[in-house]
Amino acid sequence: MITFEHVTYTYPGAQRPVLKDLNLEIADGEFVLVVGKSGAGKSTLLRCINGLVPHFYGGTISGTIRVQGLDPVRCQPRGMSTTVGFVFQDPEAQFVVDTVEAELAFAMENHALPQATMRKRIEEVLDQLSIAHLRDRRINTLSGGEKQRVAIASVLTLEPKILVLDEPTSQLDPQAAEEVLTALQKLNTDLGLTIVLSEHRLERVVQYADRIIYLPGEGQPPIEGAPQDVLPQLDLVPPLIKLGKALGWKPLPLTVKDARRKALELPLRPAPLTERCARSSDAPVEILVEDLWYAYDGHMALKGVHLEIRRGEFVAIMGRNGSGKTTLLKHLVGLLRPRRGAVQVHGMDTRRVPLEEIISVVGYVPQNPNALLFAETVREELAFTRRSHGLPLEGGEALLEPLGLADHAERYPRDLSVGERQRVSLAAILAAEPLIILLDEPTRGLDYAQKQALMRALRAEQSKGHTVILATHDVELVAASADRVIILGDGEVVVDGSVREVMTHSLIFSSQMNKLFRDDRYLTVEDVLGSLS
Amino acid sequence: MERQPYFEYASGYRQAEPVCTLAWLIWGLSAAVVTLLIRNPLYLAIIALASWFVYLAVGRGSSLAQSWGGLIKLGAVIWLFAVPFNALMLHQGEHVLFRLPLTWPLVGGAITLEAVLYGLTSGFALWVLLLVFSSFNVAVDASQLLRLLPPFLYQAGVVTSIALTFIPQMLASAKEIREAQQVRGHRFRSWRDFLPLVVPLLTTGLERAIQLAESMESRGFGGQLTGLSPRQANGLRFAMLLGLALLLCGLFLRTYWASAPLVGTWVMIVAGLLLGYVFYLFGRGVRRSHYRRTRWSRADTLVALASAVVLGGVLFVRARERLALAYYPFPPYGFVPAFNPWIGSLLILLALPGFWGLWDQIRAEPMLTRPRKKDVL
Repeated sequence: MITFEHVTYTYPGAQRPVLKDLNLEIADGEFVLVVGKSGAGKSTLLRCINGLVPHFYGGTISGTIRVQGLDPVRCQPRGMSTTVGFVFQDPEAQFVVDTVEAELAFAMENHALPQATMRKRIEEVLDQLSIAHLRDRRINTLSGGEKQRVAIASVLTLEPKILVLDEPTSQLDPQAAEEVLTALQKLNTDLGLTIVLSEHRLERVVQYADRIIYLPGEGQPPIEGAPQDVLPQLDLVPPLIKLGKALGWKPLPLTVKDARRKALELPLRPAPLTERCARSSDAPVEILVEDLWYAYDGHMALKGVHLEIRRGEFVAIMGRNGSGKTTLLKHLVGLLRPRRGAVQVHGMDTRRVPLEEIISVVGYVPQNPNALLFAETVREELAFTRRSHGLPLEGGEALLEPLGLADHAERYPRDLSVGERQRVSLAAILAAEPLIILLDEPTRGLDYAQKQALMRALRAEQSKGHTVILATHDVELVAASADRVIILGDGEVVVDGSVREVMTHSLIFSSQMNKLFRDDRYLTVEDVLGSLS
Repeated sequence: MERQPYFEYASGYRQAEPVCTLAWLIWGLSAAVVTLLIRNPLYLAIIALASWFVYLAVGRGSSLAQSWGGLIKLGAVIWLFAVPFNALMLHQGEHVLFRLPLTWPLVGGAITLEAVLYGLTSGFALWVLLLVFSSFNVAVDASQLLRLLPPFLYQAGVVTSIALTFIPQMLASAKEIREAQQVRGHRFRSWRDFLPLVVPLLTTGLERAIQLAESMESRGFGGQLTGLSPRQANGLRFAMLLGLALLLCGLFLRTYWASAPLVGTWVMIVAGLLLGYVFYLFGRGVRRSHYRRTRWSRADTLVALASAVVLGGVLFVRARERLALAYYPFPPYGFVPAFNPWIGSLLILLALPGFWGLWDQIRAEPMLTRPRKKDVL
């Protein structure tokens, strides 16, 4: 049992508490989903359960927290480690040793458990998480999903009663996320483990949860209850729930399977298929990739890629982690030069033209916005880019308003939320006025509102005739915004076509609406609502 | 229909029974000390070949093999620098290649063939030393070495090992940040242009360190489980301080009381024994378990014995005849290094882990995996 009674917590130096007079109860064996906007206090709440807050972060805390009868504030994370297992967002950042078996033994060795006990428990968790085949592997050779399952296994060896996970699938492709969530569901069902998980992409996890705790932020009390009861009260929800709410379905369907029966009864009016933004065959070719091969340390990352992207297109590049998406984007901006084959960007051959010329037309927002941000204020970040490109300083500020950053112009960028930082890094790149915009996983850690803001900004760029290319796992974002999808698999272009065509014929890279209707006319909720007679 | 093989063979062979970490440590120490004691290029060449052979037979299949080339390249660069450095600094010798003006400080004077050869040999010795370390590195990984530490030093060892793994991570971050800023048009014009690179690097490193620390503490790291009472632990800490103070006193006496150097030596010996005993008691008091205990096999005995014989033999030769292992191209000695077949044969023993790995691979049967009976026509 986890109980929070009148818990108020304020980070050091903060003006307002992030958790205010919070009262909560989580019963043994529950699967609880903690949701809320970025900065609403989800991670703080989770860290209170094992004492990382306030032990690690300082600040002031009041009220009472009890976890299986223990006080995490008094016991500290070390003392709570046999009761609460904690899994973090970034699987890379939580490993201590370099092989799977040694990582699993790490926590037990810290507790000086007998060797026989360790052997038994390691065998058990390897089987529970279906990772027995990975036991001798080095961690840096594992895929994202495998790493996250190893991270879960590494805390389960202490046989905790509670497993807390802070956005464990945010960096994973849909298939890897499914592997992790299925494993969690099994642990919850078979072992009765209490699971407390925070996640932004509700469409991935909502069907597994017994209960949702929604944190509205600003110190307001949480909304709690069964998913069917809480979801109707939230503004930003997955497409399936949005459709159910719009059509007044009761109870709200949480899975595509639940919704299918009701969807079949819908009086949909057959509408002619229209492409969201037809690829204009007379628009000039902006990017031409011919037979591109590239290898890192002997690993072939790209294998004979051919691509043609025309001016004004909005292209999504999808594929599993490690399929070559980032490598391809780096070729398009000239950071990597083809070993074999050729890349032409805006008529420039990237093998022959210096980087300075390429970046005058191409902007690249990397996966990690923190790699860009260094200045004292958001305004200075934009000014730096414009100065570096020899542009007048005053032009960049017009970007702040459409990206929802006008109120943050004088703030230190690293103090902003993940979504705001992502938008600052986008603004810092757009400040150079590029004709081609490349974005690498821009929606990691963003909530629905922040994703919509990002999408609007990118759509606005496209409407100016700029070409937008984004590498992403976010199928709903792609369904709502892209015109064309390219799926990479093991360094090769596996599929290249219009978003409707590709999503309809894909099992993994398809939106909820598309899975529901299996019809290329329905990618988004708006498509469905528009077809209702 | 394409005919499928009845069995699918794995790309490698069954893993050889591995030499344990302690035996590798003895091998590495022996090879490194011997390399430091020898300057004769012919003997050094034998050590280099032995280390290379060990790498080919044992290390090449290791998952750490990718790191092998780095130290070797570093050694080659140091070797290249050693030649001009010695040639410019040492002006002895009869075979003058050319002369630099005597008015030039340090480097002025004759540049001789002897000095060039001496530089080549010195650089070669450093390169061989790094080759030995490289082969050792690919055969043993850091986490295995950590397990050899006494329990009370384990946490310090983990922290050191994490600090070392942070270096490549920081380099990767630095590359990522440099690329991101390059694309933004960043160029170096003044010292202020370092800020876009340094600030994100520091903050990213700090954030990563915090995440790792959170993960470690959440899994019980940081609290030393000890069977010692607070009073016993304090007593041992006091004894440790006493031992360190005695060690310093001994060092002081040995350095400044020249008339009786043995007094200082004896004080240092007593301090060393005291510290050793304190560490032993600390180690016994700390409760810590190991998931995998290493087993000492026949291969380990052979490797450890061979390494000890090589080290003992080289120390014996050096004690008997100091110049037997040296190479000195300056007069009155010649350019051609001396070679004693017995010493050469002794050094070949350093290749034993390689022979063992090779023998185990040869006798191992190909590994059969995944029978594919269905595919048989």
